[in-house]
Amino acid sequence: MLSHFDTSQLLAPKYLLWMWHGFQTTLLLSATTVVLATLLGFFLAAARSSAHPGLRLPAAAYTSLFRNTPLLVQLLFWYFGVPGLFPEGTMEWLNATHSVRLLGVVTLSWPSFEFLAAMIGVVLYSTAYVSEEIRAGMRGVPATQSLAGAAIGLTRLQVVHYIVLPQAVRIALPPLLGQYMNILKNTSLTMAIGLAELSYTSRQVEAETFRTFQAFGFATLLYIVAIALIESVGHWHLQARLAHDGKGRH
Amino acid sequence: MKLRASLSPLFFASALASTLALALLPVAAHADKLDDIKKAGVLRVAAFDGNPPFGYVDASSKKIVGLDIDYANELGKKLGVKVEIVPTNPANRIPLLSSNKVDLVFANFTITEDRAKVIDFSIPYFASGQQFLAKKGVLKNADGIKDIRVGTDKGTTMETTLREKYPDTKVVLYDDTPLGLAALRNGNIQAFSQDGSKLTAILAALPDKEKYEIPAFAISEEYEGVGVPKGETRLVAFLNDWLRDLEKTGTAQQIYDKWFGPQSKSPLPRLFKIGDTRLRDK
Repeated sequence: MLSHFDTSQLLAPKYLLWMWHGFQTTLLLSATTVVLATLLGFFLAAARSSAHPGLRLPAAAYTSLFRNTPLLVQLLFWYFGVPGLFPEGTMEWLNATHSVRLLGVVTLSWPSFEFLAAMIGVVLYSTAYVSEEIRAGMRGVPATQSLAGAAIGLTRLQVVHYIVLPQAVRIALPPLLGQYMNILKNTSLTMAIGLAELSYTSRQVEAETFRTFQAFGFATLLYIVAIALIESVGHWHLQARLAHDGKGRH
Repeated sequence: MKLRASLSPLFFASALASTLALALLPVAAHADKLDDIKKAGVLRVAAFDGNPPFGYVDASSKKIVGLDIDYANELGKKLGVKVEIVPTNPANRIPLLSSNKVDLVFANFTITEDRAKVIDFSIPYFASGQQFLAKKGVLKNADGIKDIRVGTDKGTTMETTLREKYPDTKVVLYDDTPLGLAALRNGNIQAFSQDGSKLTAILAALPDKEKYEIPAFAISEEYEGVGVPKGETRLVAFLNDWLRDLEKTGTAQQIYDKWFGPQSKSPLPRLFKIGDTRLRDK
């Protein structure tokens, strides 16, 4: 049966390389988004839990605005809508190549406007979701913990830093990993604004080779690998936590 | 048993084909379309009725007009016969010819090797190619392509041509033409690439069209000719002489200017003259 396998039906290495480059862009965009959305998510969660309505209300408005509109529309807005407001010449600068040599070794180049718009869009959208998971984690820490911290003379910031956050992160991590998987999958929508990520390159390969099954199949495989990596982080963390808890009881 | 089952359709097909060939051969040998048309006093022409500016129904006169129709009417004048327009879509052009429903096809008919196996073509009287729409002054000639960001539609031959001819150009692909245009107007890309005649229609529809232009060069070539039934060599020779004559007398230029000239709704520089073998790079 295997002798009938027609190798001419496989994708040429050139096309696999295209998709590999696309995959790298997907990973870069996802990683950047995970870091930025988590950082911003902490601030947003803190603002939403604040006693001050001047912080709490705008934060709540932000969350509902970004969670209740489709990501695709948000991406089209950042890429096609916003540049219309820029002064003349801004887009020329954004699209030109700029690079900085660091210590004469690493060259940092300015990303394309496609990448910038995609990053802004996906980060702002994901921040709304990530902050809600963090907030849920914080609410999962019993109020008595904060009161106890205050009772031993810790400041409010110290209470958050030493008592609430470490426990909140433990509670929030499994749903957060789920959000990180969503971020990775959501980056595929950025192909609509011309970012050459994995979905974009798989479509490009399909259009050129007419090998529809192979092109989208390979893309699916790469997405599965990336998602499996995030899942394994979750498993590893769970194992470490169980081992730690086990030790604690002895 | 198995052998017979698989052979018999083939046998029937070849028998049918040879019968058809025998039936058609004497006709083909004696046919002379040119004389037939003159004798009938009517020239039946297949043309588009929904593809401006090549052939479309005029909103006020309700008649089919366009560049292809003008050519057909010129031919009618030359032959001294009445012209009867038969509306067609792209897929019906060859069937209409081969079933003798029409004498000729004037319908933005691109000459390809595959088509030339079934029908004959005159020399081209129109040519189009992949061109660019850009802000005025940004792109002057083909050398400039490598320095700019070019947008085009996903999944088209435009992308492949750009990548093969200009591997260093940054090409950004969009889901459809309106999105590509939005990108051009916002400055995300410096030029949008598509078929030249399609770009003129796009340019004509832009609200700020005075800011944009279609630079006078093309990076790929497509030629359109008159579709003629297979084997009508005398008719093809007649058409070729007539077309060259139209160019000499300036009629071809007049027809072009009417639809694509500077005063027309969709101005497009004329890169091709009848008798040329290539599009000019001005």
